[in-house]
Amino acid sequence: MSGSLIIQQPGHCVVTDLGRFRGPRFGLPVNGALDQFSARAANILTANEDTDPLLEITALDFRMRATTDLLIAVTGAPLRLTVGGRECPQWEPVSVRAGETVALRQITGGLRAYLAVHGSVEAPVLLGSCAPDTVIGFGLRLTEGTELRTSRSVPPIRQPYFDLPLFRLGLTRPEFSSQAVVEVTDGPDVDEFGDTAELLFTTEYTVSARSNHIGLRLGGALPERQTTAEVLSRGVPVGAIEVPSREELLVLHRGRGVTAGYPVLAVVTTRSLDVLAQARPGHTVTFRKTTVPDATAKHRAALRELENLRSTVSIVFALLGIGSQSGRVQLAPASGG
Amino acid sequence: MAAPSTPTPVEVFESGDAALRVVASSPDREANWTTVHTLAAWLEDAGADGVHGAVPTYDSLLVEFDPGVTSARQVRAFVLLGLRQLDFIGAPSRAPREFDVPVVYGGEYGPDLERVADHEQLSVEEIIGLHTAKAYVIRCLGAPAGSPMMDGPDFPLPVPRLKDPRLSVPAGAVAVAGRQAVIAPATAPGGWCVIGQTPLAVLDVTSEPLVPYVPGDLLRFRQIQPNEFADYAGRKLEAAR
Repeated sequence: MSGSLIIQQPGHCVVTDLGRFRGPRFGLPVNGALDQFSARAANILTANEDTDPLLEITALDFRMRATTDLLIAVTGAPLRLTVGGRECPQWEPVSVRAGETVALRQITGGLRAYLAVHGSVEAPVLLGSCAPDTVIGFGLRLTEGTELRTSRSVPPIRQPYFDLPLFRLGLTRPEFSSQAVVEVTDGPDVDEFGDTAELLFTTEYTVSARSNHIGLRLGGALPERQTTAEVLSRGVPVGAIEVPSREELLVLHRGRGVTAGYPVLAVVTTRSLDVLAQARPGHTVTFRKTTVPDATAKHRAALRELENLRSTVSIVFALLGIGSQSGRVQLAPASGG
Repeated sequence: MAAPSTPTPVEVFESGDAALRVVASSPDREANWTTVHTLAAWLEDAGADGVHGAVPTYDSLLVEFDPGVTSARQVRAFVLLGLRQLDFIGAPSRAPREFDVPVVYGGEYGPDLERVADHEQLSVEEIIGLHTAKAYVIRCLGAPAGSPMMDGPDFPLPVPRLKDPRLSVPAGAVAVAGRQAVIAPATAPGGWCVIGQTPLAVLDVTSEPLVPYVPGDLLRFRQIQPNEFADYAGRKLEAAR
C-alpha cells in the first residue's frame, strides 16, 4: 500500500542515494550520501537496495509524519530519535504507525543522519541518481508540507517483552569523535610540495564553518607548492587534498567539481571520507598516512560488516514476513564477501 | 577525433583507493589528447565491473572505480590493456559540429577584461580580437556542470588565476586561465578571469545530455553589444552545423 511522508520540519534535509556515478564523465560531481557507510546501513536495515533513495539530514532538527504504517531505520550521527513521542534506537529497524510523527533532534557528535524507509521514497532521477546537485539546481527540495511518496507499508512489529530492544543485529556502529583521525594516501602531485608535504601529518587542523558537501576547509599549517607552473585542468578524485589559498587546506568531498587545476597533495581513503562527512565546524582533524592496499582492505572490511548485517536482517525479516513480496529478501545469507 | 597510429606512452599514478590518474606524456599535445579520449571511450565501452567511468581532459584521464569490487592494481592492468587495444580498434569517427557563441565583453559582463589586457600588455580591443579570432576545439567537459574546456586564445602570456577565487560566477561567464578558455554553464564559484558573458543557456537539466556539445566539437565566440544581450534571453546554445 502506498502512502506518504509529510515533512513537518525540513531542517536541512535532502533525498539522496549513493551517488551519480555516471556524472563525472559529463562534468557532474558524483554527489550522494556523504557518509556512505551510514547510508548503506540505513537501507540494509530496512531491507532496501543499497542504492535506493533515502533522507540525509544535516545538523538541524527534522520532523515528519507518516500517513501509513512504516518501517524505518535511522543511522549516522548520534541524535535523539522519537516516534510518536517514544524514544527509539538508532541503527535498528523501527516501526512507525500511521499518523505518528518521527522526530530527529539534537544531532551531536557528528553532522549527518540517514533515514531510510522500507520500500524507499520516490524522487526524480538524473543520470541514474536522485542525488541533489546544487550547482545545476537538480534535486528534490524539501520544505514544510512536502509529501514524499512511499511504496510499501509494514504493519507495526509487536515487541512482546517491554524494555527489550526489538532487534539485536550485531553491527559495530562507527565511532563519532570531535577529533577525527583521517587516513590518506600520497597524492599524484605530492612531490610538488617538497618537504612541506610532511606538515600534513604533523598539524592538527580545525574544520572551518565554510565547509560543505563540495569540500571541507581546514585551518592549520599549510604545505606549500614549490613550483609555480600552470597546471592544465584534469580530473580530481573525491577526497583530493589541495592547497588553493594561503588560508586553508581544501579536502574535496562528493560534491566536488570533477576537474581542477590545483596539484593533489594527498587523497583521503574511501573509509575516511565517511569520517570527514561527520566532522562539524570546530572539530579537529589529524591525518595519518596509509597505502592504497591497506585502504582497500579497510573499505572491504566495512563492506563485509554490512553484508553480515544484510544476512541477519534478511533472516529476521523473512521470519517476520517483512519484504516477502519484494523478492529482494532471501533466506540464504548474502555473500559474506 | 582520429586515432593516432600508435597511442602515446602513458604514466599511471595512484590517486587514492578509488581512482587512478593516467597521463599521456608525449611532447605531441594533440596526440596526448586523442590518446586519453580514445582510451576513455574504450573504458566506457568495455564496461568492466566496478569501473564507474573515466574523465578525460587535455593530457590526462581520471579513472574512477569501486574499491569494494575491483582494486587500483586491477584497474591499472585494465588501463594498460586498453592502451594496447587502441592500436587495433581506432577511434570512433564523428564529424565535429560547430557552435556560435555571442558574447558581451567587459564591464559588468566581463569584470576581469581590463586586468587580462594589462597582464598581456594589449588593449581591450586586441584581447577581444584574439578571443574571437579562432575556432576552439572543445577538449573536454569539466567543472562546473559540463563546462566546455578549450585551449586558450593566442594571447602572448598565460593568464594567472585569481588570487581570491569568486564565490559566485554567473552562468554564461566566458573566462580564461593559463592557456585555457571556458564557458560556465551554471552559476558556481570560480578562480578564472571572466572577460565576458554569453546570454545563451548552455545547460538544460531537463534533457540528457545536459549540454549540447561533446569533446572534439568546435566553438566560436562572436562579440555582441550590451543592448543586444536581452534579445537572446531564453535561447539555448545549439549547433550551427
